[in-house]
Amino acid sequence: MTDGASGVLLAVETRDGAIRETSKELFGLGRTLAGELGGPLGAVVLGSGVEAAAREAAALGADRVLVADAPELAAFTVDAYAKALDAAIDATQPRIVLLAGTTAGRDLAPFLAMRREAACLVDCVRLAWQDGAWVGTRPVYQGKLLTEVRAPGDGLTFATIHAGAVAAPEPDPGRISETTPLPLQFAPGEIRVTVTDLVQAPAGPTNLEQAEVVVVGGRGLGEAANFRLAEELAEVLGGAVGATRAVTDLGWRPHYEQVGQTGKTIAPKLYIGLGVSGAVQHTVGIRGSETIVAINRDPDAPIFKMADFGVVGDVHEIAPKLAAKLRAVRGA
Amino acid sequence: MKIVVLVKQVPDPNAVRFDPRTGDIQSGTPQVANEYDLHAMEAAIQLKERRDDVELVAVSLGQARETLNRCLAMGADRAVAIEDATLAAGDSTVTARALAALLRAEGFDLLLAGQETSDGGTGTVGPQLAALLDVPVVSNVVALEERDGVFVAQREIEDGRQVLEVTPPAILCALSGLNEPRYPSLKGIMAARRKPTETKTAADLGLSAAEAQARVTWGPLFQEEETAEGIILRDVDADSAVDQLVAFLQERKLI
Repeated sequence: MTDGASGVLLAVETRDGAIRETSKELFGLGRTLAGELGGPLGAVVLGSGVEAAAREAAALGADRVLVADAPELAAFTVDAYAKALDAAIDATQPRIVLLAGTTAGRDLAPFLAMRREAACLVDCVRLAWQDGAWVGTRPVYQGKLLTEVRAPGDGLTFATIHAGAVAAPEPDPGRISETTPLPLQFAPGEIRVTVTDLVQAPAGPTNLEQAEVVVVGGRGLGEAANFRLAEELAEVLGGAVGATRAVTDLGWRPHYEQVGQTGKTIAPKLYIGLGVSGAVQHTVGIRGSETIVAINRDPDAPIFKMADFGVVGDVHEIAPKLAAKLRAVRGA
Repeated sequence: MKIVVLVKQVPDPNAVRFDPRTGDIQSGTPQVANEYDLHAMEAAIQLKERRDDVELVAVSLGQARETLNRCLAMGADRAVAIEDATLAAGDSTVTARALAALLRAEGFDLLLAGQETSDGGTGTVGPQLAALLDVPVVSNVVALEERDGVFVAQREIEDGRQVLEVTPPAILCALSGLNEPRYPSLKGIMAARRKPTETKTAADLGLSAAEAQARVTWGPLFQEEETAEGIILRDVDADSAVDQLVAFLQERKLI
């Protein structure tokens, strides 16, 4: 153990100056683990123009907030983000660094762990400090099965947390923490990947990860044009449209709408699956949904095992009737 | 230009069944090429087809002869199989160290790999190799072309797609959206028989016992049963099903 190492450091990602939902989820777990270690909960807020996000980190419970605010951090690159997180680790000397299981977190954790000869536990749905070791529970075989991974607790450890696995704490807006800027100087050529553009996925109410209602279409919709059934329902309910991997692989919908192990993890109040069979690849990404509704022709579809309400029937007949009825009910 | 593609042979994800007696998947599960790796391979072949100076090498760790043969039949020039029982038992750090030792000797302009495997699925080997070899890495690649010696790629992220540029040497990790992997042609399969496959052990790679030591240990596999006992309507006409569903949603105050 490095002398003086203590506590937990969270790598906090931002979007448009606010903390990403997946990063907010780290705070509750971080607080628990910091308590068990008897150390502080630190957070490094990463991005460009992140003053408000730094206050948010304090409100979410960080004891100490480091602000890595630089134009070079506006777009994610491994080189720039690794430099910032590395500096934050040096400044706070944590025993464990927690990252969200995002595309960024899944790059950064193994990269920095390897550079620092540290252990790395990825994609944890649970993480605990047990008898002086870190024990993570993670999905394997595309989420069909789980296993426990264990790292010795005597050195620095990195862990990524599966999106939606833990709940974000309620922020306390009055809470103030020690907040310090993290000075970063980038040399020319130090960031070896140049991001020239970002082709934005639609944001706002159609943003899958934040939507309270998500209507997912599966291969059972039959063809790309039938996604209008999902779009129509989503519109009536003010929700977003998602797709299964089978559908994005067929090119019916863009990959950024994909929900599941290799796509997004969602936790809406209401999930409606249209022609979704419920392969584990997909269901691992919807477990956090409060209510699951499934409409599928196949009575043996695994989605019915986890559905709160299921209809075995023809989605092409039922979905339009459902949209019409909902429109009538909501209009009344 | 030299392109190295990392491939792995994995239990067929469609055939994976849990065996509670062993805490593992059923023995004898058929093995297949990891899907994302075939997309990485296809991307390499497409780059090779546009230039006449590309050497394309397929590299695997663990038993992967069928997959390497498939890569040779698809268009790789040669294959290297790292086969060593001590490495097979390691974690992804050990895998990365063994691959790094080989890649230091091989050298490359472009290293392509699948974003993750369908078995362990840690998705860590690309970033780990980037750290060990001090080479830039781009993950989640869904589009790739080469323009005047610069790789122009699109990277799928939560907010959409990053368009980015990186100069060689570089490590890119492929998603399935990148391309449609070709099936080997009969001609390709015949040609593959004459292409060389080298085998390497940990000792060949000069890997020390300490480097082959896993830091992260894996426990047995287990399953968590679904507990939801929902209302499932069967043989109910569409109108009645919709009425009941709307009543359910109202009861839960979801509409």
